[in-house]
Amino acid sequence: MTTEYLGRPIVELRNIRKTFPTGDGEFVALDDISLTIAEGEMVAIMGPSGSGKSTLMTLIGLLDSPTTGQYILDGIDVSRLSRQEQARIRNRKLGFVFQNFNLLPRLTAQKNVELPLVYGRVGARERAERARAALEAVGLGHKLDSLPNTLSGGQKQRVAIARALVHDPAIILADEPTGALDTRTGAEILALFRELNRDQGRTIIIVTHDPEIGRHMDRVIGLRDGRLVDNILSEYYGVEVLEEVERTRGLDPVPVARRPAGEAA
Amino acid sequence: MFTELIAMAFDSLRANKFRSLLTMLGVIIGAGTLVAVLSLGNALQGQVFEQFVDLGTRRIAVTPGDPRAKGARDVPGYGLLSVQDYQVLETMVANRPDLFRAIAPEITVSTQARAGAVALQTLLVGTSAAYPQVQRTPMLYGRFLTPGDEAEGARVGVLGWLVARDLFGADKEALRNVIGQTIEVNGQPIEVVGIIGENGGPFSTDGRIFTPVSTMRLRLIGDLDLPGRGLRMSSILLGLQSEQQVNAAVALIESTLRAARNVPAGAINDFDLQTPTQALTVLAGISTAITGFIAVVAGISLVVGGIGIMNIMLVAVTERTREIGVRKALGASDGDVLGQFVMEAVALSLVGSLIGVIGAIGIVWLISAASGINTGISWIGIALALGFASAIGIGFGYYPARRAALLPPIEALRYE
Repeated sequence: MTTEYLGRPIVELRNIRKTFPTGDGEFVALDDISLTIAEGEMVAIMGPSGSGKSTLMTLIGLLDSPTTGQYILDGIDVSRLSRQEQARIRNRKLGFVFQNFNLLPRLTAQKNVELPLVYGRVGARERAERARAALEAVGLGHKLDSLPNTLSGGQKQRVAIARALVHDPAIILADEPTGALDTRTGAEILALFRELNRDQGRTIIIVTHDPEIGRHMDRVIGLRDGRLVDNILSEYYGVEVLEEVERTRGLDPVPVARRPAGEAA
Repeated sequence: MFTELIAMAFDSLRANKFRSLLTMLGVIIGAGTLVAVLSLGNALQGQVFEQFVDLGTRRIAVTPGDPRAKGARDVPGYGLLSVQDYQVLETMVANRPDLFRAIAPEITVSTQARAGAVALQTLLVGTSAAYPQVQRTPMLYGRFLTPGDEAEGARVGVLGWLVARDLFGADKEALRNVIGQTIEVNGQPIEVVGIIGENGGPFSTDGRIFTPVSTMRLRLIGDLDLPGRGLRMSSILLGLQSEQQVNAAVALIESTLRAARNVPAGAINDFDLQTPTQALTVLAGISTAITGFIAVVAGISLVVGGIGIMNIMLVAVTERTREIGVRKALGASDGDVLGQFVMEAVALSLVGSLIGVIGAIGIVWLISAASGINTGISWIGIALALGFASAIGIGFGYYPARRAALLPPIEALRYE
């Protein structure tokens, strides 16, 4: 059902390696990662704690640079950009949604949503219009002037999503977007992402360790110890569930190697 | 973007009102001091000039030339001043109200004064009602000469302090009754209409009796004319509008008098000019010293204020590390963040100095209302305070802002 949007690659990682210096040598956070995400895809990056999924997210989000390797974002090689250029690409191409919302507490919902447009040098009137439209799109047209601390968790995350949408980015990057929400609200937020992906063709990348989210994605990119792994969902659910998921999407089940039950998750 | 930065800066000041105010305190005091002291300083300096140096710094005295001076011409009556010179200068003064404010003659003769049994040798000065405009005459009792006295050639005189004391005793209260009494000057009776209080300085009034020129000439002394040139003058006093104009005034007086007296080109002046140059030099020195001292004190206080701002901005950068991370994730460049924090520091210091300036205006207004001293607000002080405050905001805000700008976005986002 999302295949009609699938098209040209929007994120291409080639042999990405990221290391951090430690006291005695270096820690390899990501090792030889190569992957492609197509325009219009809704993808989860999954893995247990310490698997490197957050590091991968920061690289895709241009919040950090890879140690080696090449990153092509929407046709632009962004692996070795200056800070200034990185900031501009972040502003033009990327929308961020964080686990803890990261709304600026002193700004109203509308002003928070306007922020990417401020840094994109959009005029005040157009900013206000687009911010209002974005908030209406996430069902918060009546909370324009509310300060973040007067909003519920779900509402805050909707504001954050509106902020990630308002400048019409190529990709929305969400880091554990449901992590701070109760199950029901989390499901609503997830549904909202799905809606944005289906109706507006947004490319959405969600980093999560929650297999429930993974089940709702077009595709899951699995990480373990800094390396890509196949079929990470099977580690949580076993093959049967995975095949079920594939079938519900109208895809042919991918044959996977069965693991002994003891190794799962 | 600039308007956004300003809006952000003021939002942030509003968010921490009390802290902002405390941070500004140094700048408020510094700017307020600067403006108040410069404003009051001007007025007080003016007051000091009026009271202690007074007209002495705004006066040029024309006196006779020295016939023995090198280059003096061999002309009968060389160097002497007459009423003709006075009239020429009077016209000049009338034509240049921007330079001069008054002119008064002095015809001085040594003569005898007598009150009852007491007699003394003293100086009798014939002058005009304009005299108090070129020399301080703080009246102890009574009044100075008036234009009416001059017109009538009235038999009136004003006594200097020493003359009054020697004739009537040192009891100031008793001197009150001297007004209206008659004394003899050069054997002629005159009525005492005023006594001038103790009054030192150059051209002191203390040892003199003042009477109108007409009275002196017609009734007391008699013919003082120079042959063919009219009344002889001991000196001619010119009052200036301000100390700044001494050089221009001297040049004008010289050219006017040389023309009137037919002094050939190349010959020395056959008259002398006594200028307040020395007093002015001293005053200028004092004034510079005072101004410098004020500037240093206010400057120190502003710099201390700037350090306070830097301190609080460093705290703010740490506190708001996460905000910086979020803004960067949303596309703020290093320059945007730098601008935001510098603008905040500038807003702190500018608002602080504005409060200081307003406070200073209030204080100056109160002081001038209470003391009756007429003080203006020093616009230079205000310009200095605001300009210096912006410079301090930028200077002391830059380092914290740079720290904020260079924070790696990912570290800023992860900061707890």
